[in-house]
Amino acid sequence: MRRSRLARLGLNLANLLVIGFFLLPIVTAAIGSLQSEKTLRADTRAVLPREWTLDNFRVFLSGGAQSAGSIYEQATYLPDNVKKIYYALGNSVVIAGSVTLLTLVFAALSAYAAVRLRLRWLAWLMELSVLARFVPIIVLMIPLYVTFRRLELLNSMWGVIIAEVGFLLPYGILILAPYFAALPQELDEAARIDGCTRFTAFVRITLPLATPALASFGAIVFIVSWNDLLIPLILNNRAEFMTVPVVVASLVGDVHVFFNLMMALCLLAMAPSVILVLLLQKFVVQGLAAGAVKG
Amino acid sequence: MGARRVRPGGELSPRALAAVMNLPSLVTLALVLAYPIYYAAYLSFHKVALAELRRGVFPFVGLDNYRRVFADPLFLLSLKNTFIFTVVSVGAEIVLAVTIALLINERSVPLSRMTRVLILLPYAVPPIANGLIWAFLYNFDFGFLNRILFGAGVITTPIDWVGNPQTALYVLTIPYIWRTLPFAILLVHAALQGINPELYEAASIDGATAWQRLRHVTLPLLRPIIVVILVLRTSFAFTVFEEVLAITQGGPGDATWVAAWYSYRRSFAPPFDIGVGAASAYVLAFAVGALAIAYVKMIYRRIE
Repeated sequence: MRRSRLARLGLNLANLLVIGFFLLPIVTAAIGSLQSEKTLRADTRAVLPREWTLDNFRVFLSGGAQSAGSIYEQATYLPDNVKKIYYALGNSVVIAGSVTLLTLVFAALSAYAAVRLRLRWLAWLMELSVLARFVPIIVLMIPLYVTFRRLELLNSMWGVIIAEVGFLLPYGILILAPYFAALPQELDEAARIDGCTRFTAFVRITLPLATPALASFGAIVFIVSWNDLLIPLILNNRAEFMTVPVVVASLVGDVHVFFNLMMALCLLAMAPSVILVLLLQKFVVQGLAAGAVKG
Repeated sequence: MGARRVRPGGELSPRALAAVMNLPSLVTLALVLAYPIYYAAYLSFHKVALAELRRGVFPFVGLDNYRRVFADPLFLLSLKNTFIFTVVSVGAEIVLAVTIALLINERSVPLSRMTRVLILLPYAVPPIANGLIWAFLYNFDFGFLNRILFGAGVITTPIDWVGNPQTALYVLTIPYIWRTLPFAILLVHAALQGINPELYEAASIDGATAWQRLRHVTLPLLRPIIVVILVLRTSFAFTVFEEVLAITQGGPGDATWVAAWYSYRRSFAPPFDIGVGAASAYVLAFAVGALAIAYVKMIYRRIE
């Protein structure tokens, strides 16, 4: 619909306002991370610092080897968790990667069975999946902690991976099932006449056709797992097993760490998922919309 | 595997295949969802604190944990705060989501395209990082929000954004809205694209103004998706946690204690009273569960 010049000006201004709101925290973190504690303390009313520096990133990327004294006036120590940031990055990659792979495989198997095999208990499984999406994660944390403690899964990668897969599975089944249902069943049948079993037809015909849905959901799972705090926070408390968000959370209330370093860490924590979201925009939008609209 | 179940050519019967294909999901769901849901109920009827955890024996205490939870003024305050937080954030989100979705739906406005990409950013930001960034924004001495307002000449003395117990809870909704608004915008935007443009043309021919078209064509057609957002967002706002941890830790005083924070603190901070924590989490789960059942009924009615 064509708009008058005045209306378009107004709409552009409204857009600027929205863009400003959504960029505010990102810009804040960027400016905060690019100055020293001294600069930040020296002038409490300036938006932009007089001097820019990359020292905050240098300090934690060198694992604290680089002296923090150069930029920290009052705080001279770096928490152990931050020194082990490379462990955390590695753990986050391994956990988010494994969770994505396992959730995709498990959810695809269940969704296909639910759609093509039409058994009553599978329909119940679908309804339970909708309900399961509502279980508050804080309710599960307490029994998960006690159970995983008994199974000796605390302070391990597997504990976190299993818990996150379980939490994301219902969501995956809900996204993939309608997608599989919309694929023409004739293709499966043709493959079976050519000698495929149901299972090989699923692997060779349905899965390749479902690549867009798998990519959408895969991207979302990776991001949710990468960003998740509660599960690794409660299950793992040793620095070697922490993920990046847990390290970030460990700085809350630490009087020795100043905002500059926190902002640098926050930027590091968001970088992989920001890149993923911007690269896979279309898939992310589709996946998010499908998860809520199609029951 | 009995011979009867295997078809000629070695193929499993649908029943057996369904069981095999669902085995990984069922095992995981049983371990991570079903058993913990049952076990949380079990814990909520038993005394479980540090001493009991060490011994591995949890004495049965009946409804004692629930009695203690409901007799605790801090829990009642947490429930009230959760309720206020939910009403404010979900209400604001629905109004903002409809407005912004209409805005990014404007094809003749170049900036709308940019907004459409940028609203995805909050998805990529870990909630705890978002919380810490807002903690920096809101900081009284060095905070960025005060710097911006000084720069714009709006204020002359710094504002203590989260230091006022009267307003801290409301201030805390903004970071939460920032993080969760995109989801609502995307859903409304998807619904807008499903509206037949001929409806607008017909309304224009009948002489409807832009406002009347919005009021009598767009909004009624958006009602179903708004109800979906309302239910989903309400149930998730009930469990807000990361922003509280990062920005206020429940303070000032106990002004921003919410239900999830209460369960977390009771269970994982001294006195580590896991039984009481589980009971309070179950109260929260029941509130969310009622909403979930309403949601399931609603979408299944829509499909039929």
